[in-house]
Amino acid sequence: MAQQRFTAVLAFAAVSVSILVQLHVYSAEPAQISFFEKKIRPLLIAKCYSCHSAESERIAGGLLLDRRQGWVTGGDSGPAVHPGDADNSLLIQAVRYDAPGLQMPPDRKLADNEIALLERWVQIGAADPRDGPGTLPSMQADPSDPVSGREHWAFRPLSDFVPPATSTWATTAIDQFVDARRTEARLDPSPQADRQTLLRRVFVQLTGLPPTIQQAEAYLSDDRPDAYERLVDQLLQSPQFGEQWGRHWLDLARYADSNGLDENFLFREAWRYRNYVIDSINADLPFDQFLIEQIAGDLLPAQSTEQRDRQRTAAGFMVIGPKVLLGNDAEQRKMDVADEQIDTIGRAILGQTLGCARCHDHKFDPFPTADYYALAGIMTSTQVMETRYMLGQQRLMEQLIGLGTDGEQVDGAYEQYWRDRPQLQERLTQAKTAIALLEKQDNQALAAHAKKHEDAVAPEVLDLDNSTEQRKAAQQSLIDTLNQLITSPPAIPPRAMVPSDLATPDDEWIRLAGQFDRKGKQIPRGFLSVLGSPNATIPPSASGRLELAHWLTDPRDGAGQLTARVFANRVWHHLIGRGIVRTVDNFGRTGEAPSHPQLLDYLANRLIQSGWSVKSLVREVVTSETFKMSSQHQAAAELVDPDNNLLWRAHRRRMTPETFRDAMLMAAEQLDLTPMNSTVWYLGDQATAVGANNNRRRTDFPCRSLYLPIIRNDLPELFDVFDFADPHAVTGMRPDTMVATQGLFVLNDDSVMAAAESTAYRLFESATPQCTDSVKVQSLFERVLGSPPTPQQRVVFADFIQQSRQELLSEHNQDLTEIDIEKQVWTMACHALFASSRFQIIE
Amino acid sequence: MRCHQFLRSVDRRSMLRESGCGFGSLALAAIAGTKNVDAASSFSPVLPARAKRIIFLFMWGGPSHVDLFDPKPRLTKEDGKPLQAEAVGSGTGSLGQLLASPFKFSRHGESGIWMSELFPHLSQQADRMCVIRSMHTEGQAHGEALLRLHTGQANLVRPSVGAWVSYGLGSENDNLPAFITISPPRGHGGVQNYGCAFLPSVHQGTAIGSAETPIAKAAVSNLGNDRINPSMQRSQLDLIQSLNRQHLSRLGADKQIEGLIENYELAFRMQSEMPAAMDLNDETAETHALYGIGSEPTDNFGRQCLLARKFAERGVRYIQVSTDYTWDHHKQVKDGSVTECAKVDRPIAGLLDDLAARGLLDETLVLWGAEFGRTPTVENGDGRNHHPRGFTVWMAGAGVQAGLTYGATDEFGYAPVENPVHMHDLHATLLYALGLDHEKLTYRHAGRDFRLTDVYGNVVHDVLC
Repeated sequence: MAQQRFTAVLAFAAVSVSILVQLHVYSAEPAQISFFEKKIRPLLIAKCYSCHSAESERIAGGLLLDRRQGWVTGGDSGPAVHPGDADNSLLIQAVRYDAPGLQMPPDRKLADNEIALLERWVQIGAADPRDGPGTLPSMQADPSDPVSGREHWAFRPLSDFVPPATSTWATTAIDQFVDARRTEARLDPSPQADRQTLLRRVFVQLTGLPPTIQQAEAYLSDDRPDAYERLVDQLLQSPQFGEQWGRHWLDLARYADSNGLDENFLFREAWRYRNYVIDSINADLPFDQFLIEQIAGDLLPAQSTEQRDRQRTAAGFMVIGPKVLLGNDAEQRKMDVADEQIDTIGRAILGQTLGCARCHDHKFDPFPTADYYALAGIMTSTQVMETRYMLGQQRLMEQLIGLGTDGEQVDGAYEQYWRDRPQLQERLTQAKTAIALLEKQDNQALAAHAKKHEDAVAPEVLDLDNSTEQRKAAQQSLIDTLNQLITSPPAIPPRAMVPSDLATPDDEWIRLAGQFDRKGKQIPRGFLSVLGSPNATIPPSASGRLELAHWLTDPRDGAGQLTARVFANRVWHHLIGRGIVRTVDNFGRTGEAPSHPQLLDYLANRLIQSGWSVKSLVREVVTSETFKMSSQHQAAAELVDPDNNLLWRAHRRRMTPETFRDAMLMAAEQLDLTPMNSTVWYLGDQATAVGANNNRRRTDFPCRSLYLPIIRNDLPELFDVFDFADPHAVTGMRPDTMVATQGLFVLNDDSVMAAAESTAYRLFESATPQCTDSVKVQSLFERVLGSPPTPQQRVVFADFIQQSRQELLSEHNQDLTEIDIEKQVWTMACHALFASSRFQIIE
Repeated sequence: MRCHQFLRSVDRRSMLRESGCGFGSLALAAIAGTKNVDAASSFSPVLPARAKRIIFLFMWGGPSHVDLFDPKPRLTKEDGKPLQAEAVGSGTGSLGQLLASPFKFSRHGESGIWMSELFPHLSQQADRMCVIRSMHTEGQAHGEALLRLHTGQANLVRPSVGAWVSYGLGSENDNLPAFITISPPRGHGGVQNYGCAFLPSVHQGTAIGSAETPIAKAAVSNLGNDRINPSMQRSQLDLIQSLNRQHLSRLGADKQIEGLIENYELAFRMQSEMPAAMDLNDETAETHALYGIGSEPTDNFGRQCLLARKFAERGVRYIQVSTDYTWDHHKQVKDGSVTECAKVDRPIAGLLDDLAARGLLDETLVLWGAEFGRTPTVENGDGRNHHPRGFTVWMAGAGVQAGLTYGATDEFGYAPVENPVHMHDLHATLLYALGLDHEKLTYRHAGRDFRLTDVYGNVVHDVLC
């Protein structure tokens, strides 16, 4: 990265350089050569060769310092050394760190004595005996070159592979591709999972919830040949599908209910975007259309207010990123916001790390810096922030635009209230002082006070003809009114986080070395050259967001094929447990190559051909034999392919924190499936206040977990502990860690124990007094795990129940009733089931 | 006077609940074999380590360096006169009116380190200290500056210093986390300031309480169970483990389940180790007195410092102790400094003495500092504003060039004029002291190698011995 800075610096530093280069080094004195050999050559090797020699990964700025001709010819900025004139030699200027933009080596300034050596060497004639051509015959290929970059697999057009003919195991095209690869390695597929296991798996993958006892019974007793397909269709139609798959997108969209970073202001309206995503997935909105709305929904035509509002809300994707809000420099902030957007779009939609090209040409992938700034112009021509009055001052915040028929109306009343609030509070204080004076019967002081604070004393108070009681009542009534005003802010109008195009869009300048205040060349707004059509036609009056949105989803002339590949891989990742490209957010050269490239292209083609129907693609995958395989261990296969890359069995997965909580609440019959709107309405404008704050985000809603508040830097503890997506950034693959906090949470957290307790209560409600422990154990297992205990488990549980009962009895024979003891014992048993791998791991 | 007005009523319960993210520091990942997770000790020091651990004493809000460590006679001479930007190389025009420090400064110890009269106890430790007067950073507001102090960056989520140290060195104690933060701030970046970002979550700092909670009442969440007594919890755990083992034997092999089984045992062990480490009652009355515990205004910070020593003793690698948000003296910088110094002076001196007495100061580097300093100019009549352009931190203990005053600001204390030390340089130096090369301590994420100092940072060798 550091060396790249030099590239940019030398390439753009406007230095006029004399062509007159002295070439008489061979006449140099032996002493000068000796000086070079002793002092200069080792210094160049140690400090410069890593970026400026033939062996360098890339030759920074085209400058070679491993031969005399290298500095004579110089790099992109011309000759680096003028023998005899140290001050005018770029090399010397660079090592002196004179100009902020020309500082070499970039990471650490040379020691003073080293700089002095170089100066002396140049000053005495720059003797250099090293022969060699000034430039290499063939410079190494530049990884950021967009033309050669088209060869990288991810950028190649989709191929239309015919599914290979394989064994009878395969029932779908997907299976044929998988089977072919597996057969090459002579591996056998595991048998199909039993119906119970498959049921739980498909329920959790499609809805995020395990089946209820009734749902399980319905499926297990359905002996029609297409019972499974019917179940899948039923799940795809259920509102829970959109919640589960909407959440996958929200991981990518870095969805949050607050800004995070330095000032964690509340995003009061973010929930509208969250619900838009869920609704769109449930409606099977074509994925290309969905993406277009994410990027440019506010610019799309609309037939109705509802449609307009829906599209506007969708574009919240552009607004919802974290931003440094109190940074000093507006220009810096502008570039940072654009960077966040480019990075998000790059990784979420294209699987590319575009952010790397901010400071230098991408080191690994075909994105020159110019491409980055072509996109940056689109972003900086888009407005996502506005100034609003909040917390006592005008602040720069996320942009909100009104919804509904009078959508454009900015709510003056609401802001006015916050402006007036300090004065109201002051009035209240003074009014209270007045009543105190009234209590003391100090009419003189009261009059003086009234004179000073006219609006804080009721007129009746000053009328001495009134009785003291009347006067007090009047003043109290004023206090009540003020209290009322202070504690009842006007309703917040419905608004959503929506971007808009600037009135005067403009192209962006390259920022040298990524530094906002060092402008290079201006770059016309456009897209990525590696994917063709670099000369986008963006009207001068538009930001280019709409054009970008279409380009991203256009399989013919845009990035649509890559977009389809990336998304199809995400679907596979979620359903199968691992992406065909494991690095789901990185399809670049530093990412992993696809394990089944033909299958990946097949899935991407299917997505496009189906009119970008997410549900169709999901359906095709979950109805394959590949999805239905058991996760059973096979010793022989394990030796050949321990990571199961070739899919000889199903991957097992741990529950997400959302499913873990929802499943516990389901067992307790406490989960409310009603979708939620805001779950942060009660929070102040500071989502995590500095200092104590009893207005903390709540997690006690009985709703599905995905509706819980996502406050950046203050996630629900369950989420924090169990690898929820960090809402500051794109997360296509959540981390999968095993840390002690998780154990502590499961063993000790109130929420887990409360759910266990409620489940135990439900157990009692449904049990008759005659029920034996053994029957109750059976019922508990079915309630929590959806299957009966093994005989061994039955015994172990019954023993635990009996022992705990005894222990509690001997410990508390006085203060606990029999019922209390039973509840406690069964709560512990249920808690143990929640903590078990059977509950937490989806086979 | 604070920068913003915030509600300050305390709901202790909810606060305690928030405090515990990321407890745990064993390389369970290795057992679980899960991807994205490496063994905690995967990176071994490549340099000789001068220190085994760091205790960072964080003065949240930004103490005034010109009132504490960096005496400026010209402030006194020109009190009330404008500070011309030209005089400090910062453009043109007036930067505001200079405000004299009301405090007497004198030199202390054989080394003659300057300190103001506000540190009667700390000044006796002068010969253990190395004062860096030429710090500078970015971030005019607390949030940005805190994030830069703790993570090196503000506009992107990056691992915190403690997380990098944990990643680089691993834990010395199997039952305690490698990175513990005592009373961390909840705002201004909050958990991000002790987060692990893309590093494996074992490296996340474990929070004890939060800044506004008295430490005596703070806890790590879910460290115990008030519904189930320990013996019953043990038999419950046995039941869980028997279920898990049955499951495991049915499936043949599963690293996740194996990891889960190990993890429950580790959690159970931690439940006993952590409370023992946090119990101050096993310390003598003399020790309590040394830290100012039991008397005001030092009780709270004294407890925090003693806790830090106890964790240091048990091998925790990076321990941060934070004050509440009480150093932000936009008004009454005189009274504020008096009040705040009185809270920390004795506890810090006590900590240094105690560490030394136990032989721990030879292996522990103590750092004192904040997100920025304060302006030499006046604000609101008697206060000082935020000042990232130049300020002071000090270090003591392992690897530190004791008795040294390093770097200098100009005659007004505005900006460094000698040996400037950027926040990135400080980070590089801290890692270096621990035997970690800040350019080599990298982690591959999203296709590139990240490090604490990004592309910046120079080790300040002169402040180390």
